[in-house]
Amino acid sequence: MINVLLVAGTVPRQETVLVEALERFRKQGVQVRLVCDFDLSRLTFDPAPAQVRGLRETEPDDRLRRSLGGEPSRAVWVRAWHDEVVRRWVREADVLVSMDMVAVYAVWEMAQRQLDADACHGLGPAARAVQARLAGAPRPRRGLRAAVAIRAGIVARATRRDAQGKVRRAMRIGMAPAVMRSGAGAWFWRTAVAVPALPDRVRTGVAYRVHQRAIEADRPQQAAAASAAASARLEDVASRANLLTREATWELAIGRVPVALHAAVATELAVADGWLRKKNTARATQSTHRALKLLFHRVAHFEQPCSPLAERPAEFLAPLRDSAVGRALATPRGRATPAEPPPTDRALRLLVLTDGEARRSRTIRGRYDDRPDVEVQYVDLGDETDAGAVRTDPAAQVGHLLAGSSEYGNRMREWLQPRLEWADVLLADGTEPAAAVTLFDPGTTRIVVRTHPADLLRPWAHLVDYSRVDELVVAAEAVRELATAVLPQLGTETAPTLSVVGDALDLPAHARPKEPQSRFTLGLLGVNAVDTRWAVEVLRQLRAGDTRYRLVLIGTELTPEPGMVVRRYHEELLAELVELERSGAVARVERVPDEFPEALSGVGVILSSPIRETFRHAHVEGAAGGAVPVLRGSSLAGSVHGVRALVPTEWVADTPQQAADRIRELTASEESWRANGAEVAAYARATWDWRSGGQRLAEVLRIPLRHPVH
Amino acid sequence: MHNPLPSSLTNLTRAIRPRPRPGDRPHVIYLAIGFPPAAKSSAYRLRETANQFCAIGWDVTVITICQEAWEREYGLDHSLSAGVDPRVKVVELPLMRVDLETDIRNFSEARALRPREWIERQRRQELKIFPEPVFGGWRYALEKAVLREHRAHAAVLLMTTCAPYVNLAATWRLWQEHRVPYVVDFRDGWSVDVIGGGTAFPEKSPAGQWEKRVLEQAGAIWCVNEPIAQFYRDRYPVVADRVRVVRNGYDPDCVPDAPHRADPAAGLTFGYLGSINFAPALLDSVLTAWRMARRVDPVLARSRFEVRGHIGAGALREANAHSELLRAAAPDDVEFGGPVPKAEVAAVFGRWDALVLMLVGGKYVTSGKVYEYAASGLPVMSAHEVDHDAANVLAGHPLWTGAVGLDVAALAAAFREAARLAVEATDAQREAARVHAEHFARGAQLAPAVAEAARLASNPAAGKPTPAYADRGR
Repeated sequence: MINVLLVAGTVPRQETVLVEALERFRKQGVQVRLVCDFDLSRLTFDPAPAQVRGLRETEPDDRLRRSLGGEPSRAVWVRAWHDEVVRRWVREADVLVSMDMVAVYAVWEMAQRQLDADACHGLGPAARAVQARLAGAPRPRRGLRAAVAIRAGIVARATRRDAQGKVRRAMRIGMAPAVMRSGAGAWFWRTAVAVPALPDRVRTGVAYRVHQRAIEADRPQQAAAASAAASARLEDVASRANLLTREATWELAIGRVPVALHAAVATELAVADGWLRKKNTARATQSTHRALKLLFHRVAHFEQPCSPLAERPAEFLAPLRDSAVGRALATPRGRATPAEPPPTDRALRLLVLTDGEARRSRTIRGRYDDRPDVEVQYVDLGDETDAGAVRTDPAAQVGHLLAGSSEYGNRMREWLQPRLEWADVLLADGTEPAAAVTLFDPGTTRIVVRTHPADLLRPWAHLVDYSRVDELVVAAEAVRELATAVLPQLGTETAPTLSVVGDALDLPAHARPKEPQSRFTLGLLGVNAVDTRWAVEVLRQLRAGDTRYRLVLIGTELTPEPGMVVRRYHEELLAELVELERSGAVARVERVPDEFPEALSGVGVILSSPIRETFRHAHVEGAAGGAVPVLRGSSLAGSVHGVRALVPTEWVADTPQQAADRIRELTASEESWRANGAEVAAYARATWDWRSGGQRLAEVLRIPLRHPVH
Repeated sequence: MHNPLPSSLTNLTRAIRPRPRPGDRPHVIYLAIGFPPAAKSSAYRLRETANQFCAIGWDVTVITICQEAWEREYGLDHSLSAGVDPRVKVVELPLMRVDLETDIRNFSEARALRPREWIERQRRQELKIFPEPVFGGWRYALEKAVLREHRAHAAVLLMTTCAPYVNLAATWRLWQEHRVPYVVDFRDGWSVDVIGGGTAFPEKSPAGQWEKRVLEQAGAIWCVNEPIAQFYRDRYPVVADRVRVVRNGYDPDCVPDAPHRADPAAGLTFGYLGSINFAPALLDSVLTAWRMARRVDPVLARSRFEVRGHIGAGALREANAHSELLRAAAPDDVEFGGPVPKAEVAAVFGRWDALVLMLVGGKYVTSGKVYEYAASGLPVMSAHEVDHDAANVLAGHPLWTGAVGLDVAALAAAFREAARLAVEATDAQREAARVHAEHFARGAQLAPAVAEAARLASNPAAGKPTPAYADRGR
C-alpha cells in the first residue's frame, strides 16, 4: 500500500479540493495521513478517511518551546519531528507532501530522512507521484555517496543551529535588563542596530530583540529610539513595516500600547499604498488589515484608562486618512435609486440585522412583534444559512472595498439581498452589520444604522459605506460628536442624516417591589463588560464602616476575553473574590438577560462601571426598578464628555470613595433610600422607556403612526 | 540594466555573417515560446503563423522551451502538434520556470525555509538580466539559441512573439550582430496595462527603454486589437505606420458543424472553455449569479454549467482558489471537466446550448476565445466589463446577451437571457451568428500580415526602421 503523508502548516484553504483528493486517494487504495500544525478544531470538514495528527494538541514542553524559535516554517518541522507518531509516519511514507508554503521546510527535512519517498509541494504533484508509483514507474536510485552527503548535511545544519543558539544566548545576556537600563548598554544597542551595511535580516532580528528587552527593562523610549534607528537604515519600506508591526504586535500581546504605534501603522499603510498603486489589491489588503488591527486593537482602546482614539481622533487616525487605502475605504459608492417611502397599502416590513447582540433587538421585538401594521424579521450575522454560517471578516471587507468585488461580497449579497428585497426598512444595529449590508447597493430599502459608542473604536466603523445609509442613529449628543470626529465622511454631501435617538427600553418590567434588606445590596450587571474590581473597592469601603453591605454580581459566568491585560485582570479579580464570597460579602448570580428584572428586584443600589460602553442599559433598568444608581465617572468610549453627558450628574462618582459616600448618604435610612429610588425610577421611565421616548426611533424606522403606542 | 549595445566582438561576428545559399528557401526563425504542444491559449496563433510561412514556401525554425517546462505549467496538448506543418523545425530549449518547481528534493535549504522570499530574490536577480520577472533569466540562452540557429541556417527574417518579452533581447541581439530584420508579434503589448488600463511602465524605465529600442527597428508590430495598436501608435509615433492589428481569430475546425438543439425540458448546458486565469472574484461572481438565476428560472434550475480549461500551474494546478470555487459549486450543477484537447473543441461546443464568456480587463482585452464563441452559432453570455474589446467582436451577433458588467444581479439576468436565447433561437439566427463571425477566421486574419512580413524580408527598407537609432545600436 502506498503511504502519503500530507503536512499542513496552516488551515487548508481549498478544503473541497482536499476532500476530493482524499477521496481519490482512498479509491486508489492509498493510505493518507495528515499532519496539521494548527488547532484541529479549525478543520471545517471531515478529513476521514485520512489519519490526522495535530501538532498543537498538547502544550509544548520547555525544551520544545526553546527549540521552536521565531521562524514559522522551522517551527512546523521542530514540532513535527518532536512527535513520535509523526516520526513513524515519516519512516513509512512513500510520498511526502507540503500543503502550503509554511509546511515546505518540514517536508524538505523529512525528505532528508526518508530517502525513498517522493517529496512534493501541492496536491496535484502528489497525485501525479502516486499515479507514477501505482503505474510502477522506475524510481530514481540514490547512491551511497548521495546518502552520505544528505546525512552530512543534517549534521552540519545541527552544528550550525547549535552555534546560532549560542550566539543568541550571548545576545540575551548582553541585553539583560540591567544592561538595557544602563546608559552605555542603551547606547551600544541603539548604535548596533544602526550599523551601516548590516544585512536587513540581521538588522531587523537584532532590532526586534533590542526592542523587546528595552520594553521588558521598562525603557520604552529606548525601545522606540532603537526601532527608529534600525528602521531608518532599512531601505525597503516593507522591511520597515515588518519590523515595526512585529514589535507593535508583541507589545499589544503583552498588554501595552506600542511605543511606535503611529509609525508602525503609517509604515504598514505606506506598504499598502504601494501595492494599491501596483493594483495588487490582495497584498494591499493584507497590509491594510495589519494596520487596522494595530490601530483598533482592544488593548489600546478597551483595556486602558482612556482610548487615544476617543481622546485625539484626528491625530490618531491621521495615518489612515492620509493614506490612499484609507481614502479608498472611505470612497462613497452610492446607490442607484433612493429609498422608497413606506408602503401605504400593506404592513411595513422591517428587517433588523444584529451582530450577535440579540438583547439589543429585544425592545424592538417587544414593541412591534404584535403589531398588524409592522412585519419584523430578525437576522443575525452568524445565522446559519444553506451554505453554512456567514461570518463577517474585516480583512475580506477591506479586500472587497479595495478591489470592488470579492467572494466575500458575493456571499454577503447572496445572503442579504433577498432579505433586503423583502424589507422596506433595514435597521443595522451596529457598524459591523452596517458594513456587511453596505457592501452592495441596497436598492430601494431605507437603511438605518444604529451606532454604539464602542463601535466607533473598532475598525468596522471605517468599513461602512455611509453613502448607502439613509440615517445614522446615535444614543447621545456626546456620541454624535465622537462619531463626526472619528468619521469625516459623515460631513460630506453623501453622508446620511445623523440623529440622536436615546436608547428606548422596556422599563415597566423592572418595576418590582423591594424588600427592606435590599437597601444594603449593591448590584452589578453584566460582569464581563464592567470593571468589577471598581465595584469591589466600593464595597470594601462601605463594609469598613457597615458590614451589612453586600455585592451581587449578576450575569453570565465570568469568562475572560483574549488579551493579557484582561486575563491578568480576571485572575486578580477571582483571587479577590475568594475571600469576599466566603464571607458572604459577594455573591455571584448567574442569570440570562430575560431573568435580569427578577434578579434586580433584590438590589437596592445599582452600580455601573462600564469598560466598553458609555451608555449601558443596566443602570437604567436598575434605576427603573427603584435601585439608586451610582456610576463610575471615567467611562472609556466617548470619554470626550464622559458619562455625565448622558445621566444626571449626581448619579456619577469619580472615585470609589465618592461612590461609597453617596451610597451611605442614599441608604442612610429606609425612607431616604425608598424616596430616592422612586425618584430615579420616575426619571428613568420618563427618559428611557420606549412608551415615552421611543417615538423618535419609530419615526426613523418609518413605523406607521395610525396605531399609536400605548 | 545589462548594456545591450554591441560588444567588441560584434564586428568580427558580422564579418562571418551567415549568408543564405543561392536557391535556398527563405528562412524565418520564429521565437515562439508557447508553440504546440504547449497547452497555451497562444499556441493556436503561433501554430498558424508558422504554418502560413511554410505555406508560402519558407523554411521555419521555431524556438521554444522544452515540453517538461509546460508540464509544470498548463500541461501539453499533443493534438495541437498534429496541426503543425511537418516542415516546421522546432528547437526546444531546456528552459523552465524555477518558481513552478514542485519537487521539494530540488529545493535548497534557503528555498525550503522561506519559499516566498526565495522566489522574490530570484525575481530580483532575473530583473537584473532583463526587466521581466520570471523570464528575464532566460535572456542569454535565448540569445545563444537564436545566434546558433542563424549561423546554422541563415535567416532572412526573425519573427518574435511576446510574451515572454525576454524574446526581445534575443531579437535585438540578432539584429545587432547580423542585421536580420524582424517583426514583433506583440499580441497584448508590454507597456500597455491591458487589465487595469493605462501604462504598465514609463518609457524611461529599463523595460521602457528595451521596448522603445526594439520596436523602433521592427519591420512590423502586430497587436491583437485596435485599442492596443492605438496605444503603441500614440506612445511611439515613429513606428505608427508599422503597427498592425492582427486579430486572433478562430480555427474553423473548432466550430461544430451544427449547434446543439436545446431541450428546455431536460435543462440546458452552459459552457465555458478557456484558461481559468482571471481573478477568483470574477469566477465567484459568475457562479453566484448562476445560483441566483437558478432560484428564479425553472429552466436554469434544471440546467448545468460545465467549465472546461486549465486551472493553475505548479503546485496549485487544479488545486487553487478557482478549483475550490468550482468544486464547491457542484451542488448547483456546476461541473469542472478539465482541459479540452484542441481536437475535441468542436465536439464540446457541439454538446453545449449556450456559452459563458468570462474575461478579465476592459477595452484593451479581446481574448482568443471570443472568436470561437462568436463562430459557434451558440448564444453567448458576457461576463466582463461593459467597455471591453470582446464586445466589439460580438456587436451585431444575433445571439449575444450584451455586456452587462460584473454586477452579480446583472449577470443573473444575463444567464436568464442566454437561456431564453438558447431555447428560442431560430436556425436563421444561429446561421446569422456564424456568418457574423466568418471574417474572424484565424487564417484570414493572419494571411495579410504574414505576407507583409515576407515582403519585408525581401525588401527590408519596407519596414522603415529609424536610421539614427539603428546607428546608435551598433
